Amino acid sequence: MTAINQDAPGRTALLMGNEAIARGAVEAGVSVCAGYPGNPSSEIIATLAQAGPDLGRHVEWSVNEKVALETAMAASFTGLRGLAVMKQNGLNVAADALMTLAMTGCRGGLVVVVCDDPGAISSNNEEDTRAFAKIGDLPLLEPAHIQEAKDITRWAFELSEKLALPVLVRSTTRVSHARGAVVLGELAQEPPQPWFDASAPFISVPPTAAHQALKDKLKRAGEIFEQSPFNYYQGPKNPELLVVTSGVDLLYTQEAALLLQAEERIGICKLGATWPLPEKFVLDCLRRSDRILFVEEVDAFLEDNVMALAARHGAALGPKEFLGRGSGALPRVGETNPDLAATALAKILGTEYSPRDPEYAAQAREAAALAPERQIGFCAGCPHRASYWSIKNALALDGRKGFVVGDIGCYSMGFGPSGFFQLKTLHAMGSGPGVAGAMGRLAALGLDQPALTVIGDSTFFHAALPALANASYNGGKLLTLILDNSATAMTGFQPHPGTGLTAMGKDAQVLDIEAVCRALGAHVEVADPFDLEDSCQALTRLLKRENGLHVLIMRRECALKRSKREGPSYKMSIDPERCLGQECGCNRLCTRIFKCPGLSWDKDAGRARIEETICIGCGVCTQICPGSAIIAEPAKEAA
Amino acid sequence: MTLNRDFQNVIITGVGGQGNVLASQILAQMMLNQGFKVTIGETLGVSQRGGSVMSHLRISRERRLSPQIPEGKAHLVLTLEPVEGLRVLGTYGNPETRMVANTKPVYPIGVLAGEAEYPPVETITQKIKELTAGLWTLDATRIGTEMGAPILANIALLGAAVGLDLIQGDREVFEKVIQEIMPQAKAAANLEAFDRGAGEVEAA
Amino acid sequence: MPLNKGQSTLIQRVQNRDLCTFCGACASLCPYFRSWEGRLVKLDTCDLETGRCFLNCPRTGLDLDALYGAVFGGKHVPVEMGPCLEVVMARGTDPRFKGQVQTGGAVTALLSSALEGGAIQAAVLTARGEDLLPQGRIARSAGEVLDCAGSSYVAGPALEAFNAANGSGETLGVVGLPCQIQALAKMRLNREFDPDKKIDRLGLTVGLFCTWALDYQSFSGFFRSRFSDRKILGLDISPPPQRLLSVTTPQSREEIPLDEIREFIRPGCKVCLDMTSELADISVGTVEGRPGWNTLAVRTERGRAGLEMAQSRGALETRPLPPESLAHLKEASLLKKSRGLAALRERAETKDCYLDLDSKMGRAIIEAVEGVEA
Repeated sequence: MTAINQDAPGRTALLMGNEAIARGAVEAGVSVCAGYPGNPSSEIIATLAQAGPDLGRHVEWSVNEKVALETAMAASFTGLRGLAVMKQNGLNVAADALMTLAMTGCRGGLVVVVCDDPGAISSNNEEDTRAFAKIGDLPLLEPAHIQEAKDITRWAFELSEKLALPVLVRSTTRVSHARGAVVLGELAQEPPQPWFDASAPFISVPPTAAHQALKDKLKRAGEIFEQSPFNYYQGPKNPELLVVTSGVDLLYTQEAALLLQAEERIGICKLGATWPLPEKFVLDCLRRSDRILFVEEVDAFLEDNVMALAARHGAALGPKEFLGRGSGALPRVGETNPDLAATALAKILGTEYSPRDPEYAAQAREAAALAPERQIGFCAGCPHRASYWSIKNALALDGRKGFVVGDIGCYSMGFGPSGFFQLKTLHAMGSGPGVAGAMGRLAALGLDQPALTVIGDSTFFHAALPALANASYNGGKLLTLILDNSATAMTGFQPHPGTGLTAMGKDAQVLDIEAVCRALGAHVEVADPFDLEDSCQALTRLLKRENGLHVLIMRRECALKRSKREGPSYKMSIDPERCLGQECGCNRLCTRIFKCPGLSWDKDAGRARIEETICIGCGVCTQICPGSAIIAEPAKEAA
Repeated sequence: MTLNRDFQNVIITGVGGQGNVLASQILAQMMLNQGFKVTIGETLGVSQRGGSVMSHLRISRERRLSPQIPEGKAHLVLTLEPVEGLRVLGTYGNPETRMVANTKPVYPIGVLAGEAEYPPVETITQKIKELTAGLWTLDATRIGTEMGAPILANIALLGAAVGLDLIQGDREVFEKVIQEIMPQAKAAANLEAFDRGAGEVEAA
Repeated sequence: MPLNKGQSTLIQRVQNRDLCTFCGACASLCPYFRSWEGRLVKLDTCDLETGRCFLNCPRTGLDLDALYGAVFGGKHVPVEMGPCLEVVMARGTDPRFKGQVQTGGAVTALLSSALEGGAIQAAVLTARGEDLLPQGRIARSAGEVLDCAGSSYVAGPALEAFNAANGSGETLGVVGLPCQIQALAKMRLNREFDPDKKIDRLGLTVGLFCTWALDYQSFSGFFRSRFSDRKILGLDISPPPQRLLSVTTPQSREEIPLDEIREFIRPGCKVCLDMTSELADISVGTVEGRPGWNTLAVRTERGRAGLEMAQSRGALETRPLPPESLAHLKEASLLKKSRGLAALRERAETKDCYLDLDSKMGRAIIEAVEGVEA
């Protein structure tokens, strides 16, 4: 369905927000695209990678977001257009390079697309990237809908070249993962021949002079933004209430006005070129009304900065009432939606917002409460479930109240029932070995509980290496479990340096995780997570080991990835004679604790049952059943 | 309805892996081809992990609508899984909502583990009928399974909705979209699933 | 709220009160408890209202009248050392026993004969594993029985092996300490809760005399601090009045005064009233002043058959036990009851005691002990 490469100006295509961003970059003639997977940003690089090879573009999954930015920087420094893509957490990783890049400036158009996740639908925080624009003195654009996602991305490259500055484009989940019609634009001309002008180095020396130059560029950006078509006012000349909004919150505001039939009472100051604030335009809007509501997500970014602007012009503007997330008129956390916007507007306008007949609503909610919750957890046959089973048992056997320090990936779900509640901390990519290594050093200060950490193979290359090197160097005990499933499974199976494939499907050198660990000074063992007793024994042994860096590679291919390629290893069944069901002392261990979705509890029969459509035949549950009632026959013989 | 009927709000819901997103894309393209403006909001959550998924389709002649349907404003719900339909009504239903439902449950892990109850399908359909202006059902999963691809349940459901004239468009519009996006061999299977859905759906 | 008879109550009433004897009756019965390096480990939480882990534990409640009734069928139970058909002294004849078995080798001889004679097909024993760690083991031949000979005086979860012995229908013999023999007797009482009815496959119980057992975790620490990593060939406690634990290593034979190791006795042993495994088919101990000989207390017909089989196969020679030795034995047995009662009283748990002192047996024990004390 992709229209990413189509040379069809004026044609309307149905695109996902992230595809529209990719198309915008293509229309801008981007030459180099790099990113690290992370929802809700992953489809941008994936789309460009699929469309890339025959068009002279280089598209890569970099090992982390900082390297992705640096990859795009190289393009820009040689006069090409470069795109770096990441989710909100990823910008934290890239920020070190970005903050100085702002000072040195760049040459070819350099756009950093960051997809925020208000409401943290698939994240562990909902940080607001707009703060980075302010910290770094960088221009920031915010598309409100799919068409703008394309148009703004395209324009961002021009803006970047005009200012010789990287430009941040901030999308959010509801833009990136929404779909809509996009009118395609013209494709760019051939990119220039790359060359590096050694007479114009990118070095921020002297730093204050570079900073001054940056401030000047930012001022110029503000001037450009005054004329930007992505900023406009909509509504009556002097509305009762002015709403200042950006991003998808524009659509929520419009919808709220429609729901309240209050379109004539509300004016909307819509910002798409958000930072630096187009001060003249904003002040013009502020003059229209004395009551101002900010509808934005997640932080009170516009609210705080517009209030500061208004304060500076207080004498001319006169008293204003400012409402928003900061004032408590809207929730201080989470994403916005049309109902939240309508509720806030109704309260301010003194009307009522009643979306449904309350009696019906109560009845509908009561009926919906019959629907059992769908907990997320590991897939049927997931090696992580098996790994956590052994971790749980090994820590119990060890008996010193040890715990698991977590990291980012599918295995993060180990905090919940499908990881038997083992994971106890969860922060950034690579935080696992960082924190667990330090726990090991705390032994010298009296900490007598062992800590171990779990990381994935993709995370290993992303941010674990420095933490492992640190543990090797600074001593103490670190036990790191690398749950090597040969995939970046959480975000959709993007390749990484351990897989031997590039984003564009070319063969790459496979980096040997074992060899890398050994080079870092680790004692390395490998276990098969599907062999529960062996894994548990290995873990108890490693938990006992003295100081030093210990790595246990738990190696099994991701069940989803495997099942896409081949059928089950085993044909599973329950021996009705041996499964004693409720009579057994097992107390339904298989379904109550192990909880693989491939196994279910047949209430009527009082026995376990294989869910044939879900079970992928990994065979691990045969080791769980104390009555040996779960039977695994090699699939080929069974067939 | 407090909304003017310049537009239609359609929710397609189900469980991760049931082909929810593809169905919403096809429906959106059908609407686009008929000159409507369309916005789809997808709530995927941490996809592929057995969670509830939901696509909000906002179809309008005039407006660009937000990717989230407001509370109580669903006109039509297509559900690939019975309790997911009920769940959607809890937030988005109103007495005028219509629903087409696949009758084959996909049990959540809590139910498989024997900890939570999955209500009998008859209870679910009864509750849905009480809360809507019309419910039509079909065993779309069986259609897909009989055709050798359970995923085709999504197309059967779409066929049912179009066949019942609950959505603007007809078989021809669908066929054109399918032929644009799918290779010939797959297109035929999709058309068959569409027709079987339209043929087998019944008022509940 | 009434307590359930499951995992949480077991932990609350036994483990948390330091009453566990590490007998193994709750381990590997279900997937929730497992023994590990001398500790009982809970792997997962079980919420069953009634669990065999609780029911079979010798420290969750002993209805003495019911237990003795189950084993001896209402016969009179003499209070000093339980019912005995006869008490003799015996020693094994196999020359291989010398140096490998404890004292007279009667246990090895009884079990080997029962296996070879077909009375049982498998024997559940405790073997001294690596680093003093005793482990339950299953022996199916005389050679395998011999491999398990010798005591470590460290509590070992033999019944875990009994629980784990899977359902091939073999008749099982079990060698156990008094608490383990009690647990087996409880399994008979709680037969209805066992879907496998494994207790029906119990062909012979050989009980050991026991005054206490050591806690692995603390004792092995002490032991290793004295012997570092030297291999241990044998451990023996010389009978009173010497009060010494002798340790044989390839390099030496050393003696440790028992007073030095008393602190490693499991607290759960201190409240035990049974020295001679009164609920066994046949009980085996040392004979005071007669090194190389065992005392055998034959308690049931099954026990007698076991003894006769060993005799007829020439594996065991017996002699009458001198009356003064029997008197000493009864005195020692009663002394343990007296110490156990005192310990129970000290714990102020006689009211909520793990054994039913209000039963007929209980009252008889108190009376006998008080008679001695008076």
